[in-house]
Amino acid sequence: MALSGIQIYKMLPQTNCKECGFPTCLAFAMKLAAKQVELSGCPYVSAESKAKLAESSAPPVRLITLKGIGIDVKAGNEVCLYRHEKTFYNKSGLFVRIKSSQTDIAAQVARADAYKVTYVGIDFTVDGFAVEADDPSKFAEAIKAVRAATKRPLILISSDPAVLSAGAAVLPGETPLLCGATSANWEAMAEVAKTAKAALAISGDSLDELADLTEKIKAKGVEDLVLAPGGKTMGGSLILATQIRRLALKNFRALGYPMLTMPGNAGSPERESLLAAQAITKYAGFVVLDKFSPELMYALLVLRENIYTDPQKPIQVTPGLFDINNPKPESPVLVTTNFSITYFSVANEVEGSGLPARLLVVDADGMSVLTAWAAGKFDAERIAKAVKAFGVEAKTNKKQIVIPGHVAVLSGELEEELPGWEIRVGPREAVDLPAFMKKAL
Amino acid sequence: MAEHTVTFTTADGKTATVHAQTGLLLAEAAQNAGIDIGQPCGGQGRCGRCAVQVTAGNVRRRSTLRLSSEALELGYALACQSVVEGDVSIFVPEQEKIERKLTTDRVAAEVSIPAGYDFNWSQTIRRYNVRLNEPSMDDQTDDWSRLQTILRQQHKLESVTCSLQLLRRLGAILRDAKWQVGVVGNLRDKNMLEIIDVLPEMVDEDEPLYAAAIDIGTTTVSFWLVDLMTGKVVSQVAEYNGQISRGEDVISRIIYSSKGTGRDELQKRVTDTINALCATACKRVKSRPAEVIKATIAGNSTMIHLLLGIPAASIRYSPFITACNHPPITTARELGLNFSPDALIDCLPGVASYVGSDITAGVLSSRIDSAEDVTLFIDVGTNGEIVLGNQDWLVTCACSAGPAFEGAGVVHGMRATNGAIEEVWINGDTYEPTTRVIGNSKPKGICGSGLISLIAEMFLTGVLDKAGNVNLTIPTNRVREGEHGGEYVLSWASESETGQDITITRVDVDNLLRAKAAIYAGFSVLAEQVGMTLADVQQMYIGGSFGKYINVEKAVQIGLLPDMPWEKFNFLGNTSIKGAYYTLLNADERERIKDIANRMTYIELSADNTFYDAFTSALFLPHTDMAKFPTVQSAFANQSS
Amino acid sequence: MPVEIPKDKWTGKVRTVTLGATAAEGGTRTKSIVVGGDTTMPFMQFEAPTAHTPVIAIEIKSRKPDDWSSLLEETWGSVMSDPAAWAKAAEAAGADMIVLWLSLEDTADDAMRAVKSVLAATGLPLAVYGPGQVDKDNELLVAVSESANGEKLLLGICEDKNYRTIAATSMANGHLITARTAMDVNLAKQLNILISDMGLPLDRVIMDPTTGALGYGMEYGYSVMERLRLAALQGDAMTQLPMMVTPGFETWKTKESKVGVGVPEAWGDWKERAIHWETLTATALLESGASIVVLRHPESLKRVRTAITELMTA
Repeated sequence: MALSGIQIYKMLPQTNCKECGFPTCLAFAMKLAAKQVELSGCPYVSAESKAKLAESSAPPVRLITLKGIGIDVKAGNEVCLYRHEKTFYNKSGLFVRIKSSQTDIAAQVARADAYKVTYVGIDFTVDGFAVEADDPSKFAEAIKAVRAATKRPLILISSDPAVLSAGAAVLPGETPLLCGATSANWEAMAEVAKTAKAALAISGDSLDELADLTEKIKAKGVEDLVLAPGGKTMGGSLILATQIRRLALKNFRALGYPMLTMPGNAGSPERESLLAAQAITKYAGFVVLDKFSPELMYALLVLRENIYTDPQKPIQVTPGLFDINNPKPESPVLVTTNFSITYFSVANEVEGSGLPARLLVVDADGMSVLTAWAAGKFDAERIAKAVKAFGVEAKTNKKQIVIPGHVAVLSGELEEELPGWEIRVGPREAVDLPAFMKKAL
Repeated sequence: MAEHTVTFTTADGKTATVHAQTGLLLAEAAQNAGIDIGQPCGGQGRCGRCAVQVTAGNVRRRSTLRLSSEALELGYALACQSVVEGDVSIFVPEQEKIERKLTTDRVAAEVSIPAGYDFNWSQTIRRYNVRLNEPSMDDQTDDWSRLQTILRQQHKLESVTCSLQLLRRLGAILRDAKWQVGVVGNLRDKNMLEIIDVLPEMVDEDEPLYAAAIDIGTTTVSFWLVDLMTGKVVSQVAEYNGQISRGEDVISRIIYSSKGTGRDELQKRVTDTINALCATACKRVKSRPAEVIKATIAGNSTMIHLLLGIPAASIRYSPFITACNHPPITTARELGLNFSPDALIDCLPGVASYVGSDITAGVLSSRIDSAEDVTLFIDVGTNGEIVLGNQDWLVTCACSAGPAFEGAGVVHGMRATNGAIEEVWINGDTYEPTTRVIGNSKPKGICGSGLISLIAEMFLTGVLDKAGNVNLTIPTNRVREGEHGGEYVLSWASESETGQDITITRVDVDNLLRAKAAIYAGFSVLAEQVGMTLADVQQMYIGGSFGKYINVEKAVQIGLLPDMPWEKFNFLGNTSIKGAYYTLLNADERERIKDIANRMTYIELSADNTFYDAFTSALFLPHTDMAKFPTVQSAFANQSS
Repeated sequence: MPVEIPKDKWTGKVRTVTLGATAAEGGTRTKSIVVGGDTTMPFMQFEAPTAHTPVIAIEIKSRKPDDWSSLLEETWGSVMSDPAAWAKAAEAAGADMIVLWLSLEDTADDAMRAVKSVLAATGLPLAVYGPGQVDKDNELLVAVSESANGEKLLLGICEDKNYRTIAATSMANGHLITARTAMDVNLAKQLNILISDMGLPLDRVIMDPTTGALGYGMEYGYSVMERLRLAALQGDAMTQLPMMVTPGFETWKTKESKVGVGVPEAWGDWKERAIHWETLTATALLESGASIVVLRHPESLKRVRTAITELMTA
């Protein structure tokens, strides 16, 4: 069970020596509770406390790392059922399936491997490939072909331990995911995984069966396990995935592993897209897609980024110049910050007034006008930068901006930063904007 | 660049002319002309108190915020927001004077000398009478050795030091006093004395020895003169901080101090305030500031930085770091205080940029650090600082409440002085108000406690909905659509001192809701951070001048204070100066405050979303989660039915 | 190894809300729709069956929109200039419900006429939304509300600034309202409290907590909806309202859906991408608690229908 900051504090030396880099033992304890620091940061913690704290800090979902050649994909270490409770940490790995019988492996892999798409300034790629031994005789060869075209981690799929063993032998020094063990083959699979130092996926028809298998395989010395619960409909998969995550969070260790889903088995590309999306929102650690298509990959990567965004961070809107009520070149340009609540209150007032305007949203680190001003994040320099960066001059014919009344003090500096521009001081509260726009602009 | 002539005429007929270049602010021109135009908001165009009238020529107005269209037509301009562009004549009207004297505390807390106070045991300060042998041709020992020797012989002081400044005066003092002097010093160790002053005569045991406990607030500076021999507070005075005219909040002050000679100016303004207070306090007991030999000072971190003349800019910027949380002891001379020149000035230790020694002193004086019960302590000023904890742990945070509860930032707001409406009742059927005004005079405006009371009444009577919207459909001419949306008229022009309607507007209500929401959110997030809820809080202490005027019931009704049994609330008044007083009197207490500062854990509220969530949740009357306010829920139900 | 499956035990329940009135109920709809009644987190059928199948509505306009993606124009064609024909086409495409947005240019008469024609063209329950400016909304919706008395229309959109007029007319004429707030649990709850304080029973209110499109803040709406549902199940009466969101409106204004030229190659096929955008947004929001999703494209409707059907069969 996770301990609170105060509970952890009671196990620390309480000397406030500051050697951990925090001003007090309690500050350090709260960071520990939030899992933002390691206990090793405290040089004076007693052995007894160390043991107790290690127990409580064990992650409910085991961290599994698949290794390719210099590229890793991680899954697990999750601590909550709903993202708002904390955050989801390790993004679901998106894998593309290749069959050993395919003749165009090199081209297929190369295309998907090279895939790169940019979203809010971040580049996303495919995470890895799954090689399925539909023709066991060509398996090793297929793996070699895949490996020749990508450095990303691999998942190897076969129900025959001998085939997987041969396949894994092609990837020395890597940690592939072997897929996988069932009630029928688990002993041999465990041996293969152990020898290959690979992670092992386990499928089962029920949670009873899965839990049974993980315990048995763990007893054989394989600890890096992944659960493949299956589920026939979207509803069924959703329920299984939820049950597994819930049990893991209740420290039911037998199911405390990341999950693997294969929406590629869905039957149709439409169903595959739905199942893959559900897997991303609902707890999957690894997702294997049957077919690589850029339009779906893009949508899934964006979905994943959204779901795995830390919800504890203040909500920001993207800085930029926003049109409201179809503005014309002579319409006013109103300046505000990119804190969502500030933005919404300003945008709503203007929108509701029916008056055309442009909203210049300045990057103020997501703070409200006064907070940002106080912290020096909303100053003349930043406003001037936004005016230039978002091409305000090209869209208006007035060279005029309206700044919030709370920062009237900036008008002088802004005149210096933006020579030739008229700096108007608007009202302090958004609610007064419509009247101001009608009367003064 | 073109030079222009600016002529100022004041209300009392004085005129002054200066030359100014294009672009010079009127406020600066006025300063050059020797005319002081107060700028309570720090020259930010927010307060409108620096309005002047252009009688000839023209100026360029950057901001006309707070000026009505009629005022504009009459030529009014804000001195801090208008620049010279040509020859111009300016009339400076009689400004709304910041009232110089604070009203006497109505619930002035009785100060009692800590039990068991004994000068010789509790203090490291010592006062000795020594009779030196007059030097002669047979005894050519130098003055300083002569003093050191007698102190060693009579008081076993192996090491005695003093400042060069004192040394310069020493010969004259000894001779004027005919070699019979009092020596006041501070024991650094058992046998080490640091001389603070040499008095020109021997002093009786029961003669007072003066020192001061000082609280530097952003708004108010409080000063207690203490006789160290008895431990008694012999006089208490308070005055507005002289820095106010350069900005009402700490951020404005930091900005002001970062420009040009601002830091020196603010340093001087606050020492001037302290010197004036000291003179007044000493006069009451027929003493002189030069007799004050020590002071302990508490204040928020910005105030302490500005007093010490330390650059404060880093306080404002992320990651919000002070230059120093535990300032070294300095002397009155170094700071420009007119105490005894070598008087020790001990600025007490703080915790972080926004939790200063006013709060550690508050913890010390309220004794949360040794409480068994989980205690919540709040010090409400322009910032609300909150401490939660007990003898085992202490966490603290600061939330920016804004000055609304001090009457600022509200159209008809004012401080709690004569003419302020401090209590309001609204008739639920007629919507007619009854008010109580400080000094029983005609009302001029509404002070913080009046605003709390007013919001609570408007909410309970349905003048406001739970979101703070004025309900314009109720049958009374007291509600109307004003310039800032719906408003409620508290006093008609005919009844008010100002001859204007005293109203509360939608924007005022929003300001107050934000202030109370910030404070309540601070409570709940702080508790949450340590895995508790407000229900776990066993007692609540309220400090700050705010605490003396507040009506607990109303404060709970608007959701400013948590809904808990009233007996759990304790009002402590100015806990900061009390803390300074206790540390002045007792070396052990001085050690204790150091320990408190070291073990308080500061929590930065802006670090994540939790605070915003708690804040929006509290931005409702009394709160979005009504279940947290059961007594208000039933009061509301009773009133509605 | 037998695993004991933990089941959540909730005390609260989402209110059941009925949209549209049949002849028997005093209206002219051929059927009414019931939403809400949930006693578990979305689709946790092993705890309790999902009380009512989530609903798909299609968004139409009183006048032909000039800013819609050409993909939408292609698929709907000429019906877009005639709300009645459009509603009929939407019904044929499988919609459970129609959302009619009035336009700024509409007069009260125009609005009443459009609503009347849509009511005549389809028997589906109808939501009527104003153009989004307080005064205009009040003017049009009051007229519509009075002229369609008893139909149990869903009128919207009520926000904190304008809830009084719409709630009052809806109360007087037997309609329902949509209460919209900006992606925040507290704001959603606050508006429900204000509406409830006015005397409108909450079983005549649908809440729209607002969502962004995939890639445009969808996750905020997603988590707000999860939190609202959790609060409802925990017994907070002021959050126990069914939720309606508008993924069609949100996604079709994104660049990903709206335009097919001048975009990165990595975005892939335009049409398929646009459908994914709408479908994935809608499905994620259904799984976080939406009872009604308002879509624009018939192909998305088909796919989201598949998802709903599968989610309803555990």
